[in-house]
Amino acid sequence: MKYRLKILEEMVDVVVSHSDSEHTVQAIIEGKEYHVHYQSIVDRCFHLVMNGKSTEVFVATGNQGKHIFVNGRTFFVQDADQLLAHRARRRGPEETPGEVTPPMPSVVLRIMVKEGERVKRGQGIVVVSAMKMQTTLVAPSDGTVKKIHTSIDAKVAPGDILVEIEEEAVENE
Amino acid sequence: MSVFKKIVIANRGEIAVRIIRTCREMGIHTVAVYSEVDAAAAHVLEADEAVLLGESEPSKSYLNIERIIAVTKSTHAEAIHPGYGFLAENSEFAKCCETSGITFIGPPSAILRDLGNKTLARRIMKSADVPVIPGMLEASHDITLLRQEAERIGYPVMVKAVAGGGGKGMRIVFDPEAMEESCISAMSEAEKAFGDGSLYLEKHMEAPRHVEFQMLADHHGNVVHLFERECSIQRRYQKIIEETPSPAMTPTLRNEMGKVAVSAIKASGYINAGTVEFLLDQSGQFYFLEVNTRLQVEHPITEMTTGIDLVRQQLEIAAGNPLTFTQDDITHRGHAIECRIYAEDPEANFFPSPGTVALYREPCGPGMRNDSGIYEGFEVPMEYDPILSKLIATAGTREAVRQRMIRALKNYVILGIRTTIPFLIDVLSSPEFAKGNTHTGFIDRHFENWSQGKEDEDVARIAYVVEEIASHGRPSAKVSEKGWPTPWETLGEWRM
Repeated sequence: MKYRLKILEEMVDVVVSHSDSEHTVQAIIEGKEYHVHYQSIVDRCFHLVMNGKSTEVFVATGNQGKHIFVNGRTFFVQDADQLLAHRARRRGPEETPGEVTPPMPSVVLRIMVKEGERVKRGQGIVVVSAMKMQTTLVAPSDGTVKKIHTSIDAKVAPGDILVEIEEEAVENE
Repeated sequence: MSVFKKIVIANRGEIAVRIIRTCREMGIHTVAVYSEVDAAAAHVLEADEAVLLGESEPSKSYLNIERIIAVTKSTHAEAIHPGYGFLAENSEFAKCCETSGITFIGPPSAILRDLGNKTLARRIMKSADVPVIPGMLEASHDITLLRQEAERIGYPVMVKAVAGGGGKGMRIVFDPEAMEESCISAMSEAEKAFGDGSLYLEKHMEAPRHVEFQMLADHHGNVVHLFERECSIQRRYQKIIEETPSPAMTPTLRNEMGKVAVSAIKASGYINAGTVEFLLDQSGQFYFLEVNTRLQVEHPITEMTTGIDLVRQQLEIAAGNPLTFTQDDITHRGHAIECRIYAEDPEANFFPSPGTVALYREPCGPGMRNDSGIYEGFEVPMEYDPILSKLIATAGTREAVRQRMIRALKNYVILGIRTTIPFLIDVLSSPEFAKGNTHTGFIDRHFENWSQGKEDEDVARIAYVVEEIASHGRPSAKVSEKGWPTPWETLGEWRM
């Protein structure tokens, strides 16, 4: 049984094998072997004993992954296979770089372009604000503003496409 | 003299909750005010009454002076506690309270006005022989004049907004070429933030410590200090770790600075709880920075080491009661550290991270206090300051409290949004912090481009797998999302 798990951009295989005793799994991660005994303590809290070392972990399921707390750090762990499935369902597997989306839930303060306008890569497109901090979202590539899907004062979230930019066809100089 | 029967708390989040707690202990009824997005916020749940102010936008809710005064009258409350931020240092608001016969729990409006003007504050201090940072005593819009002054003071200089606060309109300028551009951008930022773009200059100090004194002054002329706090660990000119005592403090220096702080408070005619901020340079010279005319975010560390409840003192003073202790009665014991837990992503330049708190577990154990404004399931709104809570630890020595805080942060579970917790752990664990070599440039010098350590990633991966197995019971119960087969489907017959 193999999982392909992503933390940030790093993808690592976790090979999990079956064990005879209950609440026990064997895992191999990048050549390292782990003998794991686990116990569900309360909802979303697990006690793990990994190769004899005891750790309490907390797991909250989020959008397309799990937030996992270990010793004061939190890791967002995603199953790469599920991510692929998700992308395939939404808009095909290929990346769509010509979209401007906010990094955090925020409010649109300013829209700096008009539909049909030609923009350069890195040019400011939309200014959003969250918790008294402003940030400018920039064009991911040279191109033409195809469609604006937002308006001033709109509340927006990561994944919302605010502005679509049609990438410029590569031309001979 | 008795204190109030009922007060309005014109704030939200952890500070509103903290004020309500003392009010309850004193038998004072509390009225929380809230915006639409805060209908289920912690302070609303905690107060005796709660009144909706208006839409979420601060100007229509927590900054809406007219509405807050009207709510105070209609609920028959006698006083307003402004907390920190929002209207806390707004002299117009304090004035409205005064003319409406409502007690503003803070200094008189005239003092808020005078000390809010940073160059006037510098002139007041200078006249009382309080050392001020070399620089200008009058603000200006005139870039030519500002350039001349910069030459006179000597680069590098600090450009500051006369109406400043929270790091807005502040720039360090190292050479004359950058002066004009910095002044223009600082002016525009200050104009937007405070409606006043005029600037003044101070000599930039190299790696100073930020050391401040907690003050109490009553209506009867009594002024005391409750010792210092060091707040050198800052990002974007905002404090994130505070401690008391300061690692740089000696009894002689404390005595000297405390006396100067008392004269600063007396010179300005200050009343109620306030803080005199200083910069302390490497040679032990200290300079007046400003007076914070309100309860400070970091006030709990003073409470934990002196045993004095500052909110209780604010209420007593506002009710006209004299202080019940003198300077000689005040002692401090042990060491305390506060860590500010912000909804921010420390790996992405501290960008705010609003959202829903999916899981929340507070640390406990000896010497801990947690002033929190959130709970599990709470949606942290994007409209306000990203502070979630403040974790405060006390112990006998600095080293013991440092270790205690690290231990507690490692047990502070907040999932669903990014927080400053992993960053704080690394700062506290660093050798320079352990040695007490703290200064306002600490984060930039030692923690630029910080990213979270990779230890424990395997634990997280295994936790992922364990949660999958546990939550789905038998592996075969894992339901695939449409369109892509999961290993559970492709592996066929397989069981635990």
